[in-house]
Amino acid sequence: MIKKSHKFPGVEWIEGTGDFINISEDKCSGCANCVKICLGSCFKIVHRKAKIVNLENCMECASCWYVCPEDAIDFAWPKGGTGYRSNWG
Amino acid sequence: MDEKFDVIVIGAGFGGPIAAKICAEAGLKTLLIERSKNIGDKVISGLTIPFYGFLFGPAFIRDGNPPFERPADGIVNFIIKDIDKGDIDVDDSLRVPKPFGPIIAFGYNTYCKPFCEWEVKKAVEAGVVVQTSTTVIDVIKKNGCIKGIITDKDERIGSKMVIDAEGSQGLVAIKAGIREKYPPETISLADTYDYEMPKNSIDRIFGYSVKMCWGWDEQKVAPPLGYGNGLMVWPYRESLHFMQDQCLRLHSKVPNLPKLFEEYHENITTKLPWWKDQVAPRAKLRARMWEGFEIYVGLNGRLREMPNHTDGMILIGDAAGLESTELCDGVPAAWFSAEIAAKVAIEAIKLNDTSKSFLKKYDDMIKSHPIIQWSISGRNRYNLRMAQIEHDEVKLKKYIHNGWGLGSLTHFTTPLLKVLFSSIKNDTSIVTKWIKMYFRNYQNWIYETYEFSEKDYKFQTLSKRPEFGQALFTSILNILNSLLKVASKFKRLYSKSLISLSEFSNPFLSKILPKFEPRYLKLVRFFEPFLNRLSQKILSFIERADPKTFYVA
Repeated sequence: MIKKSHKFPGVEWIEGTGDFINISEDKCSGCANCVKICLGSCFKIVHRKAKIVNLENCMECASCWYVCPEDAIDFAWPKGGTGYRSNWG
Repeated sequence: MDEKFDVIVIGAGFGGPIAAKICAEAGLKTLLIERSKNIGDKVISGLTIPFYGFLFGPAFIRDGNPPFERPADGIVNFIIKDIDKGDIDVDDSLRVPKPFGPIIAFGYNTYCKPFCEWEVKKAVEAGVVVQTSTTVIDVIKKNGCIKGIITDKDERIGSKMVIDAEGSQGLVAIKAGIREKYPPETISLADTYDYEMPKNSIDRIFGYSVKMCWGWDEQKVAPPLGYGNGLMVWPYRESLHFMQDQCLRLHSKVPNLPKLFEEYHENITTKLPWWKDQVAPRAKLRARMWEGFEIYVGLNGRLREMPNHTDGMILIGDAAGLESTELCDGVPAAWFSAEIAAKVAIEAIKLNDTSKSFLKKYDDMIKSHPIIQWSISGRNRYNLRMAQIEHDEVKLKKYIHNGWGLGSLTHFTTPLLKVLFSSIKNDTSIVTKWIKMYFRNYQNWIYETYEFSEKDYKFQTLSKRPEFGQALFTSILNILNSLLKVASKFKRLYSKSLISLSEFSNPFLSKILPKFEPRYLKLVRFFEPFLNRLSQKILSFIERADPKTFYVA
């Protein structure tokens, strides 16, 4: 397990999460709700479709999944023991 | 398939370990599954666990030494009318008066990680098997009944019952077909900042009070799109926790959250006088984290009725949508629902009936729990938001007062008394346990004496203990216990009079409180020097007393 520092202070990122957020290109309307809501700047609109650009900034809050009006975002939990972690929660 | 366990609990947050511990104590083979590597790796802090969680929640928390950061004696509300001119009103009416505060605490400010670790260790002592670094990806269904779970390592673990405590997202609950995804209107994203700060500065600037800020939208101090959102700052032992929160969608609008949170946080930390002058020079940012909480689920009648169980499976805490709309706190409801779920699961397994119709018992008990129902269905935050939209200062102050001031008594007293009286009815000795808990917790806070703490116990070894005070304390509690035992003989009278009397407490208080409150505050101010001296004496007694005085056998 490789630990990396997270974009935000006091948080680490443990690699090996797998693709726990998946965007269905067919369903995505490019509304950019996910870009607007994500505090980790994990999303970007490329050619009118949402793309994941910085998954390692994710805090697994699932906000993108909540706000997607087309249900184009599939959110699952990362693999056990991976993803963000902190001592200050 | 083989049932390797009687019960599988998903999620080792605040609720999961409680449910697991109770099941294991009843002799059930219980597995607690957690997706993070270490317990508490993925929890988000910034909370005061309110007193009613400690009083009416699990007995081992009430009678034990849980790790918390600082007792809270009340809330100071800053109503910001013009931040640039410093035009700020204060409502600090919700405060436990001296000499009761900070011993009789309004709640305990807590880091979630050590608290959850403590709960899990207690569960392990009771025989619970804990498996970390394991994500549950689905449930095993057999003839429509949940018969276990499937993990990300492709393990299929069979069980008679599953208790789901995975949090508000409810991914497993949705997979199991119990409930749907919550709409973004019901979710508030809490953006939290953890600051290191010297303890003596926190003692001086905050004491034991939580600070909250409210403002008009154009002031840009508290995020505007939620239902009357404010921001909160909790004093911990040697750190501060700052939280601002924002609804994910309101009036079909999704806010630009990174921009909004940064702008508001910047604004409040550079303009708000007490932060700018007192906190900023001493505080050092240590961590920033966020998480979504379903605090507005209760405002929607349909969602409040969303199913919380199915054949072989029960949802508890945030997974069941029990986060408080009133106080934005989910811990007491997680504890209460965990205890209820465990009780129902034990009975179901004993009777070999884990059907949906039997587990409906759980739903009935949640729906008839006065404090859970009060906390998830309050309209105060909604009203507060409307006052902000109307720019109505009188209304804004009224709803702040009703939510986070003394006015909260006008809607909270009935549910509180109902649970209080029925707890005493079940066991009269609970009253002295409550008193000991408050004294013990205060002493633990002074000496940092928590079980399983990495720090060494710091109890002073005093050669001279306040023997007379200790004896007096013990005698008073013994007398109280005997009196309550005698009173319990009149159970019927008691249930008829006191419990039904509590029904009238809210309307009664709504009428008299507005007249009584100014006099009460004047009275407290008048007696302040005397009360402070008395308080000092009691605090010094607790500090010097033998810890055993406050232990519950």
